[in-house]
Amino acid sequence: MKHEPAIQIDNVTKQFKDKKAVDRLSLTIEKGSVTALLGPNGAGKTTTVSMILGLMKPTSGTVKLLGGDPHDRAVRSRIGAMLQDTSVIDDLKVGETIDLFRSYYSRPLPLERLLAISGLGAERGKLAASLSGGQQRRLGFALAAAGDPEVLFLDEPTVGMDVTARALFWDTVRAMAGKGKTVLMTTHYLEEADQIADRAAVISQGRLIADGTPSSIKASATGRSISFTAGESLTRDMLLVVPGVADIDWKGSRVRLYSTDTDRLIGVLLERKMPMRDIEIQSGGLEEAFQNLLKKAQ
Amino acid sequence: MSQTYRATWAQCRAEMLRTIRNRRFVFFSILMPAAFFFIFTGTMDGGGMHNWAAYYLMSMTSYGVVGASLVTFSQRVSRERAQGWIRLLRMTPLPSGAYVLSKAAAQGAINIGLILVLFLTGGLSKSIDLPASVWIEAGLWIWAGGFAFMALGMLLGTMRNSDVVQVLATILYMSLSIVGGLWMPTSAMPQIMQTIAKFTPTYRMGQGPWALIGGQPVDWSGIGVLAVYMILFMVVSAYIMKKQEAV
Ligand SMILES: Nc1ncnc2c1ncn2[C@@H]1O[C@H](COP(=O)(O)OP(=O)(O)O)[C@@H](O)[C@H]1O
Ligand SMILES: [Mg+2]
Repeated sequence: MKHEPAIQIDNVTKQFKDKKAVDRLSLTIEKGSVTALLGPNGAGKTTTVSMILGLMKPTSGTVKLLGGDPHDRAVRSRIGAMLQDTSVIDDLKVGETIDLFRSYYSRPLPLERLLAISGLGAERGKLAASLSGGQQRRLGFALAAAGDPEVLFLDEPTVGMDVTARALFWDTVRAMAGKGKTVLMTTHYLEEADQIADRAAVISQGRLIADGTPSSIKASATGRSISFTAGESLTRDMLLVVPGVADIDWKGSRVRLYSTDTDRLIGVLLERKMPMRDIEIQSGGLEEAFQNLLKKAQ
Repeated sequence: MSQTYRATWAQCRAEMLRTIRNRRFVFFSILMPAAFFFIFTGTMDGGGMHNWAAYYLMSMTSYGVVGASLVTFSQRVSRERAQGWIRLLRMTPLPSGAYVLSKAAAQGAINIGLILVLFLTGGLSKSIDLPASVWIEAGLWIWAGGFAFMALGMLLGTMRNSDVVQVLATILYMSLSIVGGLWMPTSAMPQIMQTIAKFTPTYRMGQGPWALIGGQPVDWSGIGVLAVYMILFMVVSAYIMKKQEAV
């Protein structure tokens, strides 16, 4: 059998009336991989996922899911999804809702197991609409997993979940990935992607701006920085002419200078007797790395 | 194939459970028609109509079925759309036809129960004496008419704002019921109103049963009018849904 990716997006654009939500995006996702679609709010993640699932039509370009058309029932029976902004169904209990979804698939996972992986065992007999936001997300996860899917889509899955729920959730997703399932998740936290994904595709304004392992993205994007409280006489212009300063971030009296070589830069700054207090040198956290990456792309 | 069958059946069962658990359903479709029935058969004589209790029972049973199909049904569909539930279903292997079909089938089954409950309550308490065939034919007429209102409910449900749907459905429900003569017989209305009433699906819903209990010949064109309404509502809502899905 010829090798076939789980998801193949080829030069896809989605144009809403006056907004290009996805811009010539190409992405191939191999079976058995855990990929994070990473990007700030409004980057086009949900739109991309919707097009892969066949819920939206691309303006141009092609999308293939499991080698076929996402509208094909045979394809649908092999996928599961947690969509963003999906609420629960009214007047049904948790167990009943899960059983309803199980009935759609020919080889569903057992109800007990779905309750366990979503941590909703105790809520089984409660009306789904009475669950908290985080519990409703977990119910959404149970529904996504109901058919024991080969490809699992998770659009901002952990929004509203507390720390414990999040940990259980990621453990379960990891276990599913370990069984060879393909996972495509979206998030706007690089840290989350780093914990779970073996690949991160970063998108901003509908375009792919970086693609690789989360750690490689981290490494390429991490600029080190020096921050300090500026003295009265310090101006932006004085800093701009200092060699080695890549970018300046000025918040109140707190200044942050980005540089690829902070060791040299600190030397220069001290040598020029810049008015600085409370100096700190940071090696750029994950979130900063991500923010840098986005800045670079603009 | 059997998978689709199993899924459709589970969907039907879930829809029935949801309807019975819905308080608005119980209020609009059982309590309110039953209360109206007892109030109006207790305080009025329908202008000397000799089988007033039977006549009004037919009116109120129709009223209950219309309420179930129009008010609760439409709001549920609209909420499911607004809450993204329909989107979620679209990515499951459940065929989209099975969703609509099981909704209609479940509501159809509920309506049978509703008609039985109201017929039994009214019939026994007022000792209404009708031949079995009249009970059955009248019940079937009302039941069949219910599908036209389900189609109207489905059409209203294509609107995303379920608060607007609720208000609109309630206004339609009340005005159609009054104009169509479910609250008060059309014979008590001015001539112009009687003419207008003939165009309403609510009048057509009551028309068959009213004739049946009076032993008059049944005008089957009433069912025809209801069928035309049903097809019209279905076509328009299918068109709107197709447009909404094509994003
Ligand atoms: N149905 C729509 N109509 C018009 N604009 C939309 C629609 N859906 C999304 N958008 C716009 O497209 C952009 C990308 O949205 P989205 O894919 O939801 O981003 P993300 O999921 O990354 O936060 C946003 O600017 C959003 O406002
Ligand atoms: Mg999104």
